[in-house]
Amino acid sequence: MIYLYTEKREAENWILKNDLYFNLYTGNLPVTEQDRQAIREIDGAEVTEDNHIETKYGLGTIRNLSSGCKTYLNIVKNPDKVVSTKECGGNVLARIFALDEIHIFMDYPERFEIGDDVRIMINDREMVAGRHGYELWWSREYERRAQDDLPEN
Amino acid sequence: MIYQKIEFQANPFRYQLYFTCRITLVRGDSATGKTYLYQMLEDVKQLDAYRDIRLYNYKSDEFHASLQKCRNKFIVIDNADIILNDADKRFINFEGSNQYLLFLRNCDGLNVSADSFTVLHEENGQISLRKELVGI
Repeated sequence: MIYLYTEKREAENWILKNDLYFNLYTGNLPVTEQDRQAIREIDGAEVTEDNHIETKYGLGTIRNLSSGCKTYLNIVKNPDKVVSTKECGGNVLARIFALDEIHIFMDYPERFEIGDDVRIMINDREMVAGRHGYELWWSREYERRAQDDLPEN
Repeated sequence: MIYQKIEFQANPFRYQLYFTCRITLVRGDSATGKTYLYQMLEDVKQLDAYRDIRLYNYKSDEFHASLQKCRNKFIVIDNADIILNDADKRFINFEGSNQYLLFLRNCDGLNVSADSFTVLHEENGQISLRKELVGI
């Protein structure tokens, strides 16, 4: 199950600034083989033994990873946190929605692949399944926001 | 328009960025070099030819107040999805003297046209802004 929240909260267990959180906390955790694989696939970067990375832009540290990659790692390495995915591209969102038992914040819809069997619990109230359920929920949400004269996000 | 083109060499890449709109959004997949471009522009702005560039990201102090003071500037904002508020978006819409390059996915609240949407495109070491096909 993916737990999706669409209303922003300033809470201790929420990560809204993914670069900052990764640079100060997640980036200090041990890098697993699964992390290396994700970094390779998302950023095309190789992690060296001493936690440097090598990308087409040159050598750096894991703090030079993309915001999308940092967000992905914040999610998988901090399963107790609600993590904002606002800065993720479709390539990372598709990976995130293939995970299970994660908590994320997203206040507008994005286009990316979601498997039909993916179950999404939205705002702890409504459960939808797959891309179709996700799109339908957002359509209704935008209608609700328009009726209530709320900003779109 | 403050700049219709920004060009520079950053081996092994050459950047040729053409602008056709007052507001340009850079979107696309993660890890396409958006933040790397932002970091390069931090150096490029030191050149006389590009001294009207102003750069902001989530680390910028007093971002909102500083933005509101900008006139006749080329404003680049990274992490725009998490730092722009409604007042910033109104300023961007209505302060017509500035030009904007926004690393931003969600354009709600901004007066943009179909030409505003771009992605970074690399081909043989040349990096440019390519129009993104979107429905508005």
